[in-house]
Amino acid sequence: MRYLLRRFLHAALLLAGASVLAFLFTSLAPGNYFDEMRLNPQISSETLAALKAHYDIDKPLAVRYAVWLKSVAHGEMGYSFAYNAPVAPLLAVRARNTLLLTIISTLLAWCIALPLGVWSAEHSGRWVDRVVTGSSAFLLVIPDIALGLGLLIFAVKTRWLPTGGMASVGSEGMPFGAQLWDLLRHMVLPVAILVLGAQPILVRHVRSAVAEALEQGFVRAAVAHGVPRQRLLWRYALRAAANPLISLFGFSIGALLSGSLLVEVITSWPGLGPFLLEAILARDLYVVIGGVLLSTVFLVGGNFIADVLLFWADPRIRTE
Amino acid sequence: MKNAPRKQRLVVMLLVLLHGIVLVGGFVAPYDPIRQDRERPYAPPARIHFVDGQGKLHLRPFAYAQRLREGSFDQYQDDHATPIPLKFFVSGASYRVFGIIPAKTHLFGADEETVNLLGTDGYGRDLLSRILYGGQISLLAGLLAASVSLLVGTIVGSASGYLGGWTDSIAMRLAELCLALPWLYLLFGVRAFLPLLVSPVKAFLIVVMTIGVLGWARPARLVRGVALSAKERDFVRAARGFGASNSYILRRHILPQTKSVILTQAAILIPQYILAEVTLSFLGLGIPEPAPSWGNLLSSLQQYSVLSSYWWMYLPAMAMVPFFFGYLALSGTLQEGRGAAKIGL
Amino acid sequence: MTPKCLHAIRRAAWLGVVLVFGHFPRLVEAFPQSPQTTKTEFLVSREAVGKRGGRLVLSLRAEPKTLNPIIAVDAPSREVIGVMQADLIHINRSSQLTEPGLAKSCKVSKDGLEYSVELRRGLQFSDGKPMDADDVLFTFRVYLDEAIHAPQRDLLIVGGKPIEVRKVDAYHVVFRMAKPYGVGDRLFDGLAILPRHLLEKPYQEGKLAQFGGLSVSPAEWAGLGPFRLKEYVAGQRIVLERNPYYWKTDSNGSQLPYLDEIVFLFVPSADAQVLRFQSGETDIVTRLGAENFSVLSRQARGYSMTDAGPGLEYNFLFFNLNDTGAKSSPEAARRQEWFRDVRFRQAISAVVDRQAIVRLVYQGRGAALWGPVTPGNKRWANTEIKHSARSLDRARDLLRQAGFFWKDGSGGDQMLFDQHSSPVEFSILTSASNADRTKMATLIADDLKQLGIRAQVVPLEFRSLLDRVNQTKDYDACVLGLASFDADPNSDINVWLSSGGTHLCNPSQARPATSWEAEIDQLMEQQLVAKSFEERKKSYDRVQQILDENQPFIFLATPDILVGAKDNVGNFQPTVLESYALWNVENLFLRNASEIGGK
Repeated sequence: MRYLLRRFLHAALLLAGASVLAFLFTSLAPGNYFDEMRLNPQISSETLAALKAHYDIDKPLAVRYAVWLKSVAHGEMGYSFAYNAPVAPLLAVRARNTLLLTIISTLLAWCIALPLGVWSAEHSGRWVDRVVTGSSAFLLVIPDIALGLGLLIFAVKTRWLPTGGMASVGSEGMPFGAQLWDLLRHMVLPVAILVLGAQPILVRHVRSAVAEALEQGFVRAAVAHGVPRQRLLWRYALRAAANPLISLFGFSIGALLSGSLLVEVITSWPGLGPFLLEAILARDLYVVIGGVLLSTVFLVGGNFIADVLLFWADPRIRTE
Repeated sequence: MKNAPRKQRLVVMLLVLLHGIVLVGGFVAPYDPIRQDRERPYAPPARIHFVDGQGKLHLRPFAYAQRLREGSFDQYQDDHATPIPLKFFVSGASYRVFGIIPAKTHLFGADEETVNLLGTDGYGRDLLSRILYGGQISLLAGLLAASVSLLVGTIVGSASGYLGGWTDSIAMRLAELCLALPWLYLLFGVRAFLPLLVSPVKAFLIVVMTIGVLGWARPARLVRGVALSAKERDFVRAARGFGASNSYILRRHILPQTKSVILTQAAILIPQYILAEVTLSFLGLGIPEPAPSWGNLLSSLQQYSVLSSYWWMYLPAMAMVPFFFGYLALSGTLQEGRGAAKIGL
Repeated sequence: MTPKCLHAIRRAAWLGVVLVFGHFPRLVEAFPQSPQTTKTEFLVSREAVGKRGGRLVLSLRAEPKTLNPIIAVDAPSREVIGVMQADLIHINRSSQLTEPGLAKSCKVSKDGLEYSVELRRGLQFSDGKPMDADDVLFTFRVYLDEAIHAPQRDLLIVGGKPIEVRKVDAYHVVFRMAKPYGVGDRLFDGLAILPRHLLEKPYQEGKLAQFGGLSVSPAEWAGLGPFRLKEYVAGQRIVLERNPYYWKTDSNGSQLPYLDEIVFLFVPSADAQVLRFQSGETDIVTRLGAENFSVLSRQARGYSMTDAGPGLEYNFLFFNLNDTGAKSSPEAARRQEWFRDVRFRQAISAVVDRQAIVRLVYQGRGAALWGPVTPGNKRWANTEIKHSARSLDRARDLLRQAGFFWKDGSGGDQMLFDQHSSPVEFSILTSASNADRTKMATLIADDLKQLGIRAQVVPLEFRSLLDRVNQTKDYDACVLGLASFDADPNSDINVWLSSGGTHLCNPSQARPATSWEAEIDQLMEQQLVAKSFEERKKSYDRVQQILDENQPFIFLATPDILVGAKDNVGNFQPTVLESYALWNVENLFLRNASEIGGK
């Protein structure tokens, strides 16, 4: 309990620190939101100056931070220059879309990587292992972008799958069942890209950790006792190998909001990634800061879950 | 296992061979990688023949000149009237061996004509030469950056996991901050401070340091997890009981436990970092044009038109596969002597 | 003549017009279902007749940010707003000339200072409420309000003073300018007329800018355009439905628009747009790059691709001609010495391989440029200016004249040195996200190598680049492009005026730094107030000549406008002015499969 409270305090401090640093970082980058309008011959410099003053762009950091804190207290999390609207609702919708995608892909990726890695470790050195290793190397090399585009082209050529987006045009009018099916069809492509992209790393780590666990003395003893093979692999070896895997799982949770940016751009999935990228490039400061904080929450949460799981899974740590 | 050292030797030999080819890239590459040929953008790979149109067998391989089809901008056809024989050890564009010794001899070439074995890019530059020269930069950058990351990550992670308490909390919170913050902004700022005309060497080092320094958090967390568990092992307790210092225990007992995690990470980080350069080029922090790097070469793959029309632009990615396969296999064999086979499952 | 006098004469003239022509039914009657007491005076469209029904699906490269014309500055917002709003006088994108819109006529006073606009009778907003001169007055009051900082305000400042708007009666409004303005009627294009009944209250509460965001409810937003808001799904699409109160009909008398719905999908990547079009999910695709255009053309099935010819975008290389004074380092000052020598710039212009740029960057789908007026601008090009071919010799001559010389540098190539024996090398900035311009810069750098100049291409993230060019002025050379909104020199006036904010080589000067810039300033002012097209063209021709002699911008190339549409989209007539495909959206219709054959 005390440990939980301590971590909670740490998390709060971290969020505060992250917000201050985010403010600092965003002021480091050259340029501001209204710079692009300078290239528009039809807008005069006076209008631009007035707009900048209106949005407090050139005010000192401390003043802007204080104003932003007040806005956070009201639940708005600042104002977007581009949309002229509070940041929080903008982020909420897109974060929900991203989570829908990433939660399912993460679960799927782990459900595939664990058995694959265990299987590969079990037959290490033989052709199963080589095939798995070879395809890992192959997948590692292909940039996510090319993978995504390749699958998209496949979808176009075969017309089995929609080429992006989250829902078909006109889906608002469909009954619930049909809408759900439509959503699932749209999710196939991005989930496939995410899962394929995560495979090489997860599989390699699982394989390596399980292989190391399998050489421990207690496994040899278990074999001698006649413990069946599957039980041995899953209940004994995997548990011993859990340590680095749990840290990885923590990363997976931490990356729930941020890991799918490229995929979302390619498949036009209306998630947080493209939205934040556009905001960063357009210097829409408060959107970026809001996004950073949201990601930090997930990161901290993910690490926290990982630490708790570590304590639970590895009795050797508990003696502390 | 009797096989393990042999397999390890095979993998090491493969890697040495591959790196060797890239190392003497100037010799193996037929042309200057930045020489443009504006009459031949996106030319497909030349086909090597031994038998000509009349059915005559030539001992020397040759290729046909490629000419643009009338009215088209990227469709080529072989000009059967002009066979170009390939010669070996020809004199061509000058280059420097290891960057110091000037030389002019190339492994193969076609005297005055151009034969593009792997095709050309959008400016008509020979892709084979660019892949070889690019490999020199990218492999070095990837290896260096991965080393930096792993070094920093291991030190921080093992210290954090072993010492626990405040050190652990601070280090891990720092790691979280590192992963969460919008580094793009900082990188823009860094680029703004740097002068515009940066020498290629400096640009290269900046790229390496940037990627390496930003990437320590993940290995650190993984290593920390293992260290947390390792420090409670009996032999560690025994060592402590015997009065061993912390650094001794870290070095001799904790770190070897983390070996497999580190090796796996190494094999994964190197390709990831080479690909991260693509993102950096987008920010203006990558290897600047016209110098080739695998990241540069792959960035053109982001376009659908390139994917569907110019398949040979994929070849840099294919060139990377044997390297990454080698790294993975090496990291696997270094952890070898393990696994189910050993216990006779 | 006093304004009062003029006003009285006008009233009398109007009365006379009504009496004489009132009983001739020149315009089609309004439909019975229009719950209006005044019959609507429709505009009859002269396009081909189509049939009603169907839904058109398009993709946008980025999400629009707002539906409120006062704060919309980005292209996707403007595209959606353009379909939902209407203006008094409209520029026909195909002919590039003005035609009546909400106003059925516009008369200019003899002294060129007053524009009297007569509105059509019986106009209604998309929610059924009537529109009259009060809405026009309200609209222009909002646009001109300094507290709102609308971008439209700058367009309405003529001769240093904002336009005055005066209501004569419910259907007549008079606009008065401080100085005669050569193309006053072009001013009104794109200025959407806002609904007073919805926006007056927020305006008085000072909340107008927050109104009309994307999540506004369709019942609370109205416009006079052919479509009105139906639904917005965040991050995915915006759906517009037909405006049942639209004020145009076709030549058969059927009310426009033909389409039931328009859907804009948000597709952030250009390649995803291409794939969606290929798979048939979208009906029209615009702003294609040359390579994607080729890919689509090769596999055309059920759709056709159109090359509408060169657009109005001009790409150029420019040097840092700012007076940075003490702030810059000695090396930067030395480099500026080179840039300021007109012979240096002319030499660079002589050695740039424009044909290679058109071939390699645009795959031939573009045109080389030697001035800012592209072939897409039908009326304003100065045809006297010579388009000299690439000549290395001429470049060398010019450099020799300017005091440069060649010497063997390291590596055995001939390098260029200036009078102080320093090697000539500088950096060329481009936007890292714009592959076309980066390619141009790489080609130029290679060309310069043949002159012995070592030019380094530095791709920077866009806003960092803008910061260097506009703020810190810490750069050497830069490749950028601008796209004119209108085929008229006034739309780009801030690029040529030395005091202009977009006079990129040396923006916002207090006083012109060189004599040729002073001359350009004078000429642009002249053509602003000149009354006839010929006078204006003479002034602008001379401007183009000065630009050619002094080369502050070394013009490179312009891309063609490349679009595609499914075969069943009728009345599809892409133009080179924005919006390329939707400028005649009210005339677009969908054919049946059986009709497509006889296109």
